Amino acid sequence: MADEATRKAVSEIPLLKTNSGPRDKELWVQRLREEYLALIKYVENNKSADNDWFRLESNKEGTRWFGKCWYIHDLLKYEFDMEFDIPVTYPATAPEVAIPELDGKTAKMYRGGKICLTDHFKPLWARNVPKFGLAHLMALGLGPWLAVEIPDLIAKGLIQHKEQQNNS
Amino acid sequence: MAADWEEIRRLAADFQRAQFADTIQRLSERNCIEIVAKLVGDKQLDVVHTLDGKEYITPAQISREIRDELYVHGGRVNIVDLQQIINVDWVHVEGRANDIAKSDRTVQLVLGQLVDNTYLDQLAEEVNDKLQEAGQVSIAELCKSFDLPGDFLTEILSQRLGKIIQGQMDQYNRGVIFTQAFLSRHKARICGLFSAVTRPTAINNLIGLHGFHEHLLYLVLEELVSSGRLKGTVVGGRQDKAVYIPDIYSKTQNAWVDSFLKQNGYLEFDALTRLGIPDPVNYTKKRFKTSKLLFLRAVCVGQAIVDQVEASVEEAVNSGSWTDLQPMLPSCLSPEDIGILLNQVLRTTNVQSSARIVSGTVVVSEKFIGSCLSLFSESMQQRAVKEVKNNPVFLITEEDVKQASALVESAAPSKKEKREEQRRKKASEGSGSVKGGGGGNAREIRIRKTKKKSRRGEEDSDEEAATAPQNRNKQTEVPFMSPEEVTAVLEKHVCDCPEDMLSELAEHLMRPLARMYQEVVRTVLMSSTNAATGAGRKRNVKDLQEEINNLCHNIRLFEKGTKFFSEETQASISKHVLKTVCADLTNILVNFAAAEFMTATDSPSSITHEVRVKILGRLPEETKAPLMKLHNSLNGKSIEDFLTNLEPSAEVCGFMLKKGDKKRERQALFQHRQALTEQLKVTEDPALVLHLTSVLLFQLHAHCMLHAPGRCVPQIVGTLVGRVSEDQHRLLSRYQTLVVKQLVGQSKKGGREHREAESAEQEDEAEAVRKELQSLTGEVKDLVLTSRKTSATED
Repeated sequence: MADEATRKAVSEIPLLKTNSGPRDKELWVQRLREEYLALIKYVENNKSADNDWFRLESNKEGTRWFGKCWYIHDLLKYEFDMEFDIPVTYPATAPEVAIPELDGKTAKMYRGGKICLTDHFKPLWARNVPKFGLAHLMALGLGPWLAVEIPDLIAKGLIQHKEQQNNS
Repeated sequence: MAADWEEIRRLAADFQRAQFADTIQRLSERNCIEIVAKLVGDKQLDVVHTLDGKEYITPAQISREIRDELYVHGGRVNIVDLQQIINVDWVHVEGRANDIAKSDRTVQLVLGQLVDNTYLDQLAEEVNDKLQEAGQVSIAELCKSFDLPGDFLTEILSQRLGKIIQGQMDQYNRGVIFTQAFLSRHKARICGLFSAVTRPTAINNLIGLHGFHEHLLYLVLEELVSSGRLKGTVVGGRQDKAVYIPDIYSKTQNAWVDSFLKQNGYLEFDALTRLGIPDPVNYTKKRFKTSKLLFLRAVCVGQAIVDQVEASVEEAVNSGSWTDLQPMLPSCLSPEDIGILLNQVLRTTNVQSSARIVSGTVVVSEKFIGSCLSLFSESMQQRAVKEVKNNPVFLITEEDVKQASALVESAAPSKKEKREEQRRKKASEGSGSVKGGGGGNAREIRIRKTKKKSRRGEEDSDEEAATAPQNRNKQTEVPFMSPEEVTAVLEKHVCDCPEDMLSELAEHLMRPLARMYQEVVRTVLMSSTNAATGAGRKRNVKDLQEEINNLCHNIRLFEKGTKFFSEETQASISKHVLKTVCADLTNILVNFAAAEFMTATDSPSSITHEVRVKILGRLPEETKAPLMKLHNSLNGKSIEDFLTNLEPSAEVCGFMLKKGDKKRERQALFQHRQALTEQLKVTEDPALVLHLTSVLLFQLHAHCMLHAPGRCVPQIVGTLVGRVSEDQHRLLSRYQTLVVKQLVGQSKKGGREHREAESAEQEDEAEAVRKELQSLTGEVKDLVLTSRKTSATED
């Protein structure tokens, strides 16, 4: 499904072991710990590959995540806020990432700014429960979506660079 | 539990930290290269990339590497090799190498190679080894073996000469280094060799023979010669033709030359060359600076000989004779040299104008030539008179005709001739010698010998510059005597001269003689024509008028006479008349016309057909045209034509033709008969007797004059039939047959003289005929003479 770079990036993310959701008190902590380690690894990998593209943090319980992601197009950095909740059925169900400011601007999005992940992603995720975690979500879900949608939106003029907006 | 959450919190913090840590700015290779290129382009960075593009290197590093390589390679390394070793672009290597060579005094860049002093020292040591071994080494050889340029080698070697290299360099030829030992060995050899030389020797040969070093040889030789160790001189500088002449040789040579000159008074350059003196002229000039030598082409002559020659020339000039210098000149003198010498002598003795050189060695004074000329004056006069009488037409040129009026007054030579004379004089002066003189005119002599046929031809070749009118003038010159004749005359009068000289003198004389002769002829001609013109002329005109009229009259009568004969006979008689009487008349007219233009002859009768044409050619147009017609009608057949042409011709010449009248006619008839009778009385020749008799008889009976050729006699006799009595006619016929027989016999005799038997028989017959003729002659004569009486009585 994804391109070679993505595939490589994903393969470098450590797989998770603990199969537990937020409702499982003990195991969730363990799961969360693994999630963090995978994320840290992924971010480190990204940084070392000069491919840093998001900032993410969570609430204390690790059930709600928010942060920023950005995409560089034509030497301009387009930055968006993003957020998602860990579903109760996690990790069987993948979280739904939302970019609220793009709500209504593209067809590949549900109400409330939740991005419409490709048909490939869900079976892929399903196949890899519980090995895939949030890091995989970012790498295989949001990353490709941004890469496809943002240039399209920029071309359509639906989003504009912020500085340019300010300038204009 | 709390610990777990603590760990989570810590992990979250780690995560944040990880996220906010600086991103490693990774640059792709491509970007790096671009950035470096930009920096280099902006002069912010000074690096050089290697050829494979993998590394950047700073110039300083290149320099260091070059130095290292230089050291590794033993002090000498090629930049091309360096470039391969250091593996950067050649330009950088070269630039750095140049910098090093510039900044470091011990390192030099030679022929694209870096060389440092240690290498050079080592090289010098090597050279020294070679030198000590061989005694000499040439830089050229070293160049080859070390592959370094000669100048560079010379420089570095000369720096180390005496320090590392034990030897010295040739001062003049810096291409060789040798040891002192070698030098002294060389010197010893040269000294020995040249001491042994006793003859002039080409140094080049010696070099080849003994393998000397050329420059060294000259150096040493000069030293030895100047120091007096070798007694001799080097002639010809340092070139190929340099010759070493030992003193002993030149001493003997000079002695020989001196004695030869003293003894003989001259020096032959050839002999000097044989002696081995390369430049004899300069040699003699140098050697005998003080003595006055006369330099000729192949010889120089001493004062003694010149004096001798001068004396004899002067004597010849003063005594007005000639002298042959051949015996007193050295035999080796070429004709050319003799010519030069004689000219010189003539110049110094100042007798150029009064002497000339003949046949190379003989000096003849003008006085002598003058006397020779005078020998001819008498015979010239005689010849001129004869010539004028014979054919003045050929003597008189067109120019003369033009100048006739002027010439009548004085017999002086025409302007043209004067000019020509002057020119000729100039020409002879200009050539520095009199004509046909010594060596300078050798060509002329040769020409003369080959084309001796005519003076004229020689003149043409001699004076090519002669202008056209002068040429024409020459063509019409009257030849006086052939050179051979002149020679013969001279030989008679001038004794004991060499033959050559005589003939040449004759040729010299030809020209003035011809000129004098021309003049004499002209004066003679003038005097004769002058006599004819003037007072005598008028009378002449009158006489001529009379004569012309008479002739014209006669012709008319003759024409009448022809009418009695048949066509054929008439034609032949007409022709005869035209050829004789008419021609005479024409001649008189032409001659008269010519007399006006100075070309008359004394006897018009002697004018032939071609002379007439010539004269006519000279006449002016208006006179020429009718006379030409008249002349042409002479060749026709009809007398009438002639008569019609005669009238205008006579008018042109100023004569009036009178119409004939009866009285005149009769008078003419009478005169004619009288003349014929007189002739008849005298003659004894039977043929003539017959001719005259028949003509007279015809006139007697036909009352018509007849002028007929001899071969028409039978016809005339034929017409007489019926006019004379039977007896007379028979007598005539008989006489005629006898005459014919005699004539035939005579011609036969001429043809068959060799058949003696026959001729004897015929002689008898001829004798008989002759006798009969003799007896009949009187009778026949009487026939006319008596009948004349009867006719006279009739009259």
